Amino acid sequence: MVDVALVGRLDTPGVAGIELRFTATLVPRAARAVIDMSQVEFIGSMGIRMFISVARALSKKQGKLVLYKPQPMVEEVFNTVALGEIISVQPDAASALAAVRS
Amino acid sequence: MAKSFRCSPTPHRRWPPCVPDIDANPIRLRFAGTPRGFEQAFLQLRGALDREETKPGVRARYNIELVFEEIIGNIVRYGAPPGGELRVAVSVEINNDGIAVTFEDDGIPFNPCSRSDAANLRTLAEPAEGGFGLKLVHRVASSMRYERTADLNRLVVTLPVL
Repeated sequence: MVDVALVGRLDTPGVAGIELRFTATLVPRAARAVIDMSQVEFIGSMGIRMFISVARALSKKQGKLVLYKPQPMVEEVFNTVALGEIISVQPDAASALAAVRS
Repeated sequence: MAKSFRCSPTPHRRWPPCVPDIDANPIRLRFAGTPRGFEQAFLQLRGALDREETKPGVRARYNIELVFEEIIGNIVRYGAPPGGELRVAVSVEINNDGIAVTFEDDGIPFNPCSRSDAANLRTLAEPAEGGFGLKLVHRVASSMRYERTADLNRLVVTLPVL
């Protein structure tokens, strides 16, 4: 199990700055990963795209991606694109751990 | 590859400048439609919003940044004519009745109002072909108005103040 805390902004420059490392950290090891979103203050479509891309790659290798504790405006973005339909989004670390093990 | 522009001793009256040109009240930015221009302009916009006298609320502030992120992202990624350069101008006007964010670019014609929202994915196996950005813009905007005039795309997105 891998626990990752993202900090800052997932706008276009922010995603460009972390996507390679984020993907390389999780996908090759087919991680079951929980991502702490509590310190992500902004997300746009490029951040959504990054999560879908990593979650898809993990699902092909029996890994899993779970996001938890998004800030309210970030959660609204998740809801607008119905991200929760395809990636588990949990309110806290405990429920995220339960979800990633299921 | 990012295009480069020679710095001028007085960059504020050159367009496109090597750093975004910015005025306040309303906030006005002019920048090159490159990834670097986008990144620098985003920093300038956030700084200007921090200094704005009519401070937008948390939701309005987020939505201004979201609309900027999505519309400029599209322009920079897809708007340049083959082999050409792009110039972009953005203004943000905040008053008690609403927020108007105006985008102008001299790229290929594109009407963001006419694009239908992307369908939500139901499984990870489905291909994600994008479209989330405009879906987000349509979701937060009170109105969107597009016109193509004199080789410019002009888009006005209005947002609620609260």
